[in-house]
Amino acid sequence: MKHNILLAFSFAKRDFKERYFGTGLGQLWYILSPIITIFIYTVIFSDFMKMKLNIIDNSYAYSIYLIPGLLAWTSFSTIIMRLSTSIFEKANMIKKINVPMHTFQLSIVITELALFTLSISFGTIFLLLVNQPVTFSFLWMIPIMLLQTVFAFSLGVILSLFTPFFKDLKEAIPIVVQLWFWMTPIIYMREMVEKKYPSLLVYNPFYHFVHVYQDIFLFAKSPALSDLITIFLISFSTFILAAYLYKKMISTIKDII
Amino acid sequence: MKKILEVKNITKIYKIYKNNFNRLKEIFTKKICHKEFISNKNISFDLYEGETLGIIGVNGAGKSTILKIIAGVIEPSSGEVVRHGRVTALLELGTGFNHEMSGYDNIYLNGTLIGMSNKEIDSKIKDIIAFSELGDYIYEPIKSYSSGMSMRLAFSIAIFSEPKILIVDEALSVGDAHFAAKCTKALRQRKEQNMSIIYVSHDLNSLKLLCDRVILLNHGEVAKEGMPEDVINSYNFLISKLNDADEKMSIKDDNKNSFGTFDVEITNVIIKGKDSNSNIISSGEEATIEVSILSKKDIPNMTVGIMIRDRFGQDIFGTNTYHHKLNIDFKANKEYVCNYKMPLNIGSGKYSITAAVHSEDTHLSNCSHWLDNAANFEIAGIVGEVFIGLCRLKPNIVFKKVDIK
Repeated sequence: MKHNILLAFSFAKRDFKERYFGTGLGQLWYILSPIITIFIYTVIFSDFMKMKLNIIDNSYAYSIYLIPGLLAWTSFSTIIMRLSTSIFEKANMIKKINVPMHTFQLSIVITELALFTLSISFGTIFLLLVNQPVTFSFLWMIPIMLLQTVFAFSLGVILSLFTPFFKDLKEAIPIVVQLWFWMTPIIYMREMVEKKYPSLLVYNPFYHFVHVYQDIFLFAKSPALSDLITIFLISFSTFILAAYLYKKMISTIKDII
Repeated sequence: MKKILEVKNITKIYKIYKNNFNRLKEIFTKKICHKEFISNKNISFDLYEGETLGIIGVNGAGKSTILKIIAGVIEPSSGEVVRHGRVTALLELGTGFNHEMSGYDNIYLNGTLIGMSNKEIDSKIKDIIAFSELGDYIYEPIKSYSSGMSMRLAFSIAIFSEPKILIVDEALSVGDAHFAAKCTKALRQRKEQNMSIIYVSHDLNSLKLLCDRVILLNHGEVAKEGMPEDVINSYNFLISKLNDADEKMSIKDDNKNSFGTFDVEITNVIIKGKDSNSNIISSGEEATIEVSILSKKDIPNMTVGIMIRDRFGQDIFGTNTYHHKLNIDFKANKEYVCNYKMPLNIGSGKYSITAAVHSEDTHLSNCSHWLDNAANFEIAGIVGEVFIGLCRLKPNIVFKKVDIK
């Protein structure tokens, strides 16, 4: 077990090194990509389109609203998409070398968590630049981000277990993920759908994460206990389900890939 | 001796489904909707410290399946594998190499994959590079390597990972003779340091050279287990039975190999080793070539000859009854058999036999039947002292000190 976790870390390190291997800017891309995302949403929405949110007194309010949701969603969706095809990608390896599949999957998650942390750090720096208060309540980001990653990991593993059986999933997942994005108040405000489609929020697990991030970024508000419990239950139950399905299905999957 | 690996009653059944949905349904419900394909049936054996165990069998006998189960990449349907130490499997050389990265970085990558720690690799990397003979190429990306080069690197990493058990699946067949010999030597050295090896190959010579014990798999079961010589003979017998059906067809069907007046016809040619009782024969073993003939006319003063050719079509040895001063008179509608009994003192490889019936000393005069490729045989392994090349010349070697005047 310990060996497998160490192995996952060394794979993640490798993944980190390899991703921009051969590019001129190299690992600078890791920093550039979140900065550019933040820059685009700031310039386009707050400067060009002059979108104003009157809930807080800051001309960049809408950008402040957008950034945590977008960065969190980027990490969430990337993990799901990468994991869902992971068994195919590593098929050749797991058929030849005695390394458990979940080690490879864990390494993907480790990389993505590191990138998520990096991008959120830039988001926080942006807040300082636009004179938005950053308080101790921002420390709540850490456990919520971890739980979100556990949730994404579990969901990704579950999907990866079914893709070998239904190849259609490979095509369907990106579409469903995109749909999910627009069903979640990331670009628009939750108040816009709260009254008309309340179930859209309650039954959308990702909403529970995203609105905690948004409250922290906008109002420096610590999450309510009920939110924490919901988030924990979502992540934990998905994790248990993923572990159960993995145990049950992995040996059959090794026979068919 | 200490047991290092125990394989207990391994059975592997592959389930065949109409589609993947049925397969999924079966995982979660009790309903059975598959046909079964048995790949391994109740296989048990032990491997001892420092022992080299060979596994042979015809294609589809279940060799790869049992290796994968021992390596842990697939799970058996029932049974248990107990490993008392690190198992490194060379199921396919170079798995897990990243082709963009240099050979040097790949040593770390592949090393961690097969269970070495970074510290361990640090201490061995010099030896690995030296053994692979890659020199400065080690800093070039793997994609620029030839297949032989990446195989050398993969083998070097595997042998220096110092596993307790090394599984080698036909891996040594890649690479040139020089490196193959180096690998064999390295394997022997590791063996002396108590590493156990499971070796799978179709190269019967190397099996005889390396293995202490051989297991023959047939239809997923252990058909025979024991000394390499005995088991390989049973394997040869098994193959010859498979070949028989094909060969009989080929004589009749293929008229291109055959010409003559057909007054006298060669109906069958068989070759059999005295010990192997099949057409796979050790060099130096006594073999009998039996030529069956059917005569349709009364013809006096005829000659029956044979010719052994190697796989390049080169004549290796030929003789006939004329040179042996045997006088043959054929009578109409009678069957004859001509036996050539001789020790096959020729080098290992594949050979074919040509048989002919004609008059006088060559087929140029009055050829009744000339039949190319009448039978095939293979020389594998050597009885007596080892030699290299096409033929055994049996030298009498004298060694003595020369006094300098």
